[in-house]
Amino acid sequence: MSPAITVRDLTKRFDKVHALTDGRLTVERGEIHALLGANGCGKSTLSKIVAGAYAPTSGTVLIDGKEVSFRSPRDAEQMGIALFYQELSLIPKMSVEANIFLRREPRNGLGFIDRDRMRAETLKLLEMFKEAVGDDIRPDALVADLTPGQRQIVEILKVYAKEPRIVIMDEATAALDGRQVKVFFDILRKKREEGVSTIFISHRLDEVFEICDHATIMRNGAVVAETTIADTTPEHVVHMMVGDVKKAPKRQLRDEDDKAPLLKLDAVGSAQLDNVSLSVAPGEIVGLGGLQGQGQSTLLRSLFGALPITSGEVLLNNEPVSIRKPADAVHRKIAYVSGDRGPDAALPGRSIFENLAAAILVSERRKLVRAKELQPQLAGVASAFKTKYARMTDAIGTLSGGNQQKIFIARWLATNPQLILLDDPTKGIDLAAKADLFALIRGLADSGVAVLLYSSEESELLDNCDRIAVFNDGAIVTELSGAEMDSFHLTRAAYGEA
Amino acid sequence: MSETSSNMNSENARLRLAAILREPVVLALFAIIILLGIGEAVSPGFARGDQIIKLLTVAALLGFAAAGQNLVVLAGGEGIDLSVGAMISLGAVIAGNVMDGSNGGIIPAVIVASGVTFLIGMVNGLGVNLIRIPPLVMTLGMTSVIQGGLVVFSRGIPSGNAAPALMNFINQPVVFGIPGILFIWLVLIIGMVFMLRATAFGLSIYAVGANPQAARLVGLPVKAIRTIVFGLSGALAGLTGVFVIGYTGNSFISVGDQYMLPSIIAVVIGGTSLAGGSGGYIGTVAGAIALILLQSVLTTLHLEFWGRQLIFGGTLLLLLMFYGRQKSARI
Repeated sequence: MSPAITVRDLTKRFDKVHALTDGRLTVERGEIHALLGANGCGKSTLSKIVAGAYAPTSGTVLIDGKEVSFRSPRDAEQMGIALFYQELSLIPKMSVEANIFLRREPRNGLGFIDRDRMRAETLKLLEMFKEAVGDDIRPDALVADLTPGQRQIVEILKVYAKEPRIVIMDEATAALDGRQVKVFFDILRKKREEGVSTIFISHRLDEVFEICDHATIMRNGAVVAETTIADTTPEHVVHMMVGDVKKAPKRQLRDEDDKAPLLKLDAVGSAQLDNVSLSVAPGEIVGLGGLQGQGQSTLLRSLFGALPITSGEVLLNNEPVSIRKPADAVHRKIAYVSGDRGPDAALPGRSIFENLAAAILVSERRKLVRAKELQPQLAGVASAFKTKYARMTDAIGTLSGGNQQKIFIARWLATNPQLILLDDPTKGIDLAAKADLFALIRGLADSGVAVLLYSSEESELLDNCDRIAVFNDGAIVTELSGAEMDSFHLTRAAYGEA
Repeated sequence: MSETSSNMNSENARLRLAAILREPVVLALFAIIILLGIGEAVSPGFARGDQIIKLLTVAALLGFAAAGQNLVVLAGGEGIDLSVGAMISLGAVIAGNVMDGSNGGIIPAVIVASGVTFLIGMVNGLGVNLIRIPPLVMTLGMTSVIQGGLVVFSRGIPSGNAAPALMNFINQPVVFGIPGILFIWLVLIIGMVFMLRATAFGLSIYAVGANPQAARLVGLPVKAIRTIVFGLSGALAGLTGVFVIGYTGNSFISVGDQYMLPSIIAVVIGGTSLAGGSGGYIGTVAGAIALILLQSVLTTLHLEFWGRQLIFGGTLLLLLMFYGRQKSARI
C-alpha cells in the first residue's frame, strides 16, 4: 500500500529567496508524523504546499501514490487534506456551529441550511472534547465569547468536521491547557486507529515525543533527517535541527554587579505573558529568543504601553513605573522599533521629514515644528546611519525597504532614548542595511543605552546579544550567556527543554 | 554619458511637470480659469473685477465651512462631518438672537455661536471616537438633533437680526473695493496653512490620517486628535453661521443646509483624500472658488436648483472615481 503522502524534491522560491531547497516527506496511513526545525527552516512552507496554499517551484506531491497539483487550498481539501489554522480562520461574531460548517453547511431538500442537522453534527463533534470541556461550549455560542483554549478546540473540530484523511496540525496545542492537550492527544490516537494521518508541528518537544511515531527534521530549507521517535532522544533531535554548532563568539564578560539594571521586570504577566522576570543593564543588548510567537513581541509591545500588563512590576532605574500608553513610554525615553514597517511605522504619502520628526514632536512635547531647525538635526541623525535619500521633502514611499527602516529607527534616535525595544527590526531588509543596523545598535549600547532585541533569525541574536532570554509559551524558559550562547542551546531551549 | 544624463534630466523634468499638472490644486486652478472663460462667453461682464469679488465673498463663506470639513477628513478614520450645514444654521440663529441688530453684540455673538458649535462638535467627536459610532451616522444624527432643536425652540419663526456693522463689513468694500470677509478669509487661510504645516498638532493630524497605528506607536493621542478636529469643524461652521447672517441680514432655520454637500465637494476638488492623511487647505480654497464659479455659471445658464444639485452630485462622484483610481495606482 502506498503512503498517504509522499513529497519528493520539493523546492519553493519567493523572488530570490529560496525558502525550500529540498523538501521530502513520507507519511504513512494512520501515522502521527512530526515536522521539526528552527525558525525559518522551511517547515511552514512545506506544510503550506501540502495544504495547497502555496504552489511549489518544482517537485512532486503524491497522495495515495498518485501525483497531484493543487491550485488552491480547496483542491487539497477535496483530496481529504485539512490544515489547522492558528486562530485566524474563525469568525468571532458567528456561532460555533456556523463556524465549523462555514461554506459547507448541510442543506435540506429545498436548498436551505438544515439547522437541525448542523446542530446535531456539531454536538457530535463537541462530544469528542467532552472530557476536557464538559458542556461549556454550546453550538449556538458566539466564538467571540469563548476562551482562547475553547476557540482552539472549535478550530480543531472544524478540521475534523471535514472528515479528512490527512491533517496538518500546525501549533494546534498552543492555547490548550494540560487537560485539553491530553484529550486532544486521545483524539489524535483514535484518529490514528481510524487510519487518519497527522502531520504534527509543535514548539513543545515533549509533546512530539509523547504522541508522534516518526519525525522529519529540517534545517535551512532542506530536510536533514527522517527518524523514528522511539529510536532517538530529544538531545539528538536538537542536534539534527541545529547541525554543526558554531562556537559562541568570544565576548568580554561584563561585570554584572557594577551596573544597576536600567530595566527590571518582576513576574510580569498578561494574557500572553507568564511571569516574565528579566533585567537589562545600561550598555547591554539582551536578546529574546525562541520560536516565533512565544511572547517576545508581546513583551516588547507591552513594555511600550501598546499592550496591557496585568500583573507583576516594571522597574525603570529602580523605580516602579506604570506605562499605560505609548506616550508614557516615549516620555520615559523608551523607543520601540517594529519590523512590520507598513502597519506599525510608515506614514504613507507623507514626507521623509514628517516620518522622521514624528517621535521627537511627542518626546519633546513640541507645539511648533520649526522645520528649519529640525531638518538639519534629523538629517544628521539619518546620515550618521548611512540612510540614502534625495530630499527630505520626498515621500517616504520613494525609499527602499531598508532605507525606510533606517528612517524609522532614526526617528527614535533623535529622541535620545535610554531603552530601545527592537521587535524583529530587520524583517525584509537587505544584508548591508542589517550590518549597518547592528553596528549602530552596538554603538548605542556602548554609549550606555539598554537594548532588548527580538529577532526571528537566531544568528542575529547569537552574533549581537550579550545574553539571550529564551521564550516558550509566554514564559522565559532559560537565559543563555557566555559559553552557552550557541545554536544548540538556543534551539533546545526554544523547544521547551531548559 | 553627459548626453544620457541630460536626457535623463529632461525626462525627469517632463515627469515632474506631468506630476504637477496632475496635482488637484493645479487642476482646480485650471477649472477656475475655464469656468471664468465660459461665464464671460455666455454673459459678458461675468469675469469683471467687481463680479469676481462678489463671487469670492460667497466662496469665502463656503471656504470657512469647508475648513473644518477639511480637518475632519484629513484626520482619517472615514472622518466626515455631515452636521456642518445644521451647525451653520445654529450659528446663524444664535448670532442673530445675541446681536439682535446691535453692533455691540457682534463679539458676544461670535463667541457664543462658535463656542456652542464647538461643544456640539466635540460631542460628535466623542461619539465617533469613544462610542465608535461611524462619523457618517453620528453627524447625520446630530444634524437631525440640531434641526429639530431649532424648530422646537424657534417654533419655526425667524428671529434675530444681524448688526449693521457686521453686514457692512461682509458686504461693503473696506479697502481697495474689497469687503472685510475676504480679509478674514485670508487670515483663516494663513492660519490653516500655518497650523497644518508648522505646528505639531497639524503634523499629528496628517500622521493620524495616514496611519493611525503608526501614529499611536510614536505616542500620538489618536482619539484625542480625531475628537478635536470635530470640535474645530463645529466651531468653524458656527463662525460661518455668523458670517452667513451678516451676508443675508437675517436667518432662518435651514439657512446652512445648502453648505453641507458643497463643503465636502470643495475638500475633494482640492485634492484632500477622503481616506485621510493627504491634502491641505490651499486645495480646498481653490475647490471652494471653483465650485462657487460653477454654481454661478450654471445660474447664468438658467439652470434651476435641482439641475444644479444634479451637476454638483455628479461632479463629486466623478472626482472621487478619478482620484480613487489615481490613488490606487500611486502607492
